[in-house]
Amino acid sequence: MKLMKRMLALFLGLFLLIGLAACGQPSTTESDSSSEDETTEETSDTEEETDEASSEGETVSFMIPDWGAPSDELLAEFEESSGITVDLQPTSWDDIHNKVTTAAAGGNAAADVFEVDWAWMGEFTDAGWLEPLDISQETIDDMPTLETFEKDGDYYAVPYANDFRIAFYNEAMFDEAGIEGFPQTWDQLIADSEAIKEAGVVDYPVSIPSGAEENSTTTFLWLTMTRSGQTFNEDGTLDEDATADALALYEELYAKDLVDPALTNASGMDAYFKITLGEASAMIGPSSFVNRIESEEDSQVVGEVQPGQLPGIDALAENTVPFTEAVGVSAQSENKEAASELVKWYTSSETQEKLHEELSQNPPRISLLEKLNEEGKMGEHGEVFLDMSQRVESPFPNGVPSYYTQMSTVIFNTVNELVTGNLTAEEATDQMVTEVNAIVEAEAE
Amino acid sequence: MLKKNNKLAWLLLLPGLIIMLGLVFYPIVRTFEFSLYEYNLTKPDSIFFTGFDNYFQVFNDSNFYIALKNTLLMSVFIIIISFFGSIFIALILNQHTKVTPILTAFAILPWTLPPLVNGIIWDFIFYSGYGLINKILIGIGIIDTPILWANQTWTVMLIVAIVVSWRVIPMCAIILLSHLQNIPQTYYEVSQVEGSGMIRTFFDITLPIIKSSLIIILMQITIAALNVFDEIVSLVGFTLGDQTLLIYNYMNLFTYMNFGFGSAITYVIMILSALIGVFYIASMTNQEEVNHG
Repeated sequence: MKLMKRMLALFLGLFLLIGLAACGQPSTTESDSSSEDETTEETSDTEEETDEASSEGETVSFMIPDWGAPSDELLAEFEESSGITVDLQPTSWDDIHNKVTTAAAGGNAAADVFEVDWAWMGEFTDAGWLEPLDISQETIDDMPTLETFEKDGDYYAVPYANDFRIAFYNEAMFDEAGIEGFPQTWDQLIADSEAIKEAGVVDYPVSIPSGAEENSTTTFLWLTMTRSGQTFNEDGTLDEDATADALALYEELYAKDLVDPALTNASGMDAYFKITLGEASAMIGPSSFVNRIESEEDSQVVGEVQPGQLPGIDALAENTVPFTEAVGVSAQSENKEAASELVKWYTSSETQEKLHEELSQNPPRISLLEKLNEEGKMGEHGEVFLDMSQRVESPFPNGVPSYYTQMSTVIFNTVNELVTGNLTAEEATDQMVTEVNAIVEAEAE
Repeated sequence: MLKKNNKLAWLLLLPGLIIMLGLVFYPIVRTFEFSLYEYNLTKPDSIFFTGFDNYFQVFNDSNFYIALKNTLLMSVFIIIISFFGSIFIALILNQHTKVTPILTAFAILPWTLPPLVNGIIWDFIFYSGYGLINKILIGIGIIDTPILWANQTWTVMLIVAIVVSWRVIPMCAIILLSHLQNIPQTYYEVSQVEGSGMIRTFFDITLPIIKSSLIIILMQITIAALNVFDEIVSLVGFTLGDQTLLIYNYMNLFTYMNFGFGSAITYVIMILSALIGVFYIASMTNQEEVNHG
């Protein structure tokens, strides 16, 4: 009986201790974190000095989605020339965000070098999880999409895969409806689509992401940028006129029955693939579809689809919006020097050329795109890709904000409520502007 | 002898106690601590004590009430479909025919499917375009254009309830079946001699005997209803209008990384679940007291 009492007391005591330890440790207060930062800075300074001495013999971990993972042979080339060993960790895109966030919150690096999606840039830099990188002026001039990863004059990640929006039209469907040439404006695109529908060529000529997911936000971003020239005001709030204009267009497309209503509950990729399935005559989507439309594996309409500039209000839009993938170095990395070496190598012209061959990745360097295009390695539509890659313009006047995820959730949900008929364009505009601006104001406080 | 047994009992309990302390009690205390702080993982320099502010924020957030309403609506659908479905399936499986063992084996199949796979399968069936149901309805001439199943919250909740019930009914039916098969056949023979019909026999004999099992399956169904996550995500993603309390919690905790606010939501859900649990346990206790005179 005594033993039982003792053990009970022991466990109660242990439980109390755990509880007190938890309550008595208010994670990191502002003062705590600043003192921790100082310690970390001191430590990292010392480490950097050591790193600078030599990166040879070090091992760096590299967390990247499988679509960006270099082959063993390519990595071996780097390891041989640099003396740095790379621990490649192919990880799904979603998991990378969670792993980086969780590890960084505990003061650790999920990997020395990891994927930095454009949407994570504000979040990661505000939290201090990315190390500023030393980028040459030549690279800055050669990569228009690098601007997404710049903050207060510093660059925190380097793009490795080019992605922006391009318009795709099924020429055969336009021909069948007796339409010559592709639309230059949205009014013309709507009129052409109505003619295509009336001619019975296809039930729903326009394919546009409309589900409650990220692709509806990116669609909203390029719609506002290409039609109104801006999405946000200088203070980061949503531009009301641009919002109203984009949402009115969404409403018109659905009211005229030009978009498949099933897309209201489908993924953005389902919407994009309608062009390759021959189920839509017009789609504005990722630049990677330049390759897909000519691939027998991906497309049922090879040779019928043509890429081009996005339609505008009075003429073709002069710009497009980039949604770039990049790689950066963890601020918590213990091998920053070696990690920076890996980033430099991975995003270099030579490696990017090899990655283009290995993974069909479209490089972000204009000079390389020009070279590949001249050599005929960019496929049939290399010229369009090259032209569009120089028209990219970020919709964020002050860089991608740290509250992007929350803001994006509001945007895609409001778009979804509009296309499902639960809101009019006017109501959707009011709701979106009010809710997004409330997030912006809360962050400013 | 008694002391020796006690020692052994404590030794055997020790691993379980350690696991409970480390994996249940500690997280409960820690989550409560987080809920009292302004604590966003992506803002490591801005963590501070706010008391019960996060709880006030939860109760002032319109999304919380949307999620609560959806959870209640979905739970009602799930409880009705699963409860009566389980009784119906159990009664069918209790018929002693040659095909009963095969039917029982088939009935267990949905139970073995992971919820995510379950959700994906049903997403194909209820796909707003030309999903299986729409194709069948168009094929037999009931509709001309596909029904957009996911565009109304109540239809989404009803579909989710069907999907969850499909997964939950087998287990509940098997629990009821085991109880049904333990009812002595003589009761039914007497009832037959007395001239009772099928319905009267069910209400006078079967139902009172299996009442304790019914309360157990009701608890199982309610827990399943409150824990629905994968099926909703597979069917409608993270649509705000269709979110349930768990989705609302997940979004704030793991999408926005807001551990302070998210932990407060966790506690609110925990308290709501506990209230339902207490209600069921009290009902069970009352039932036992009635049974024991």
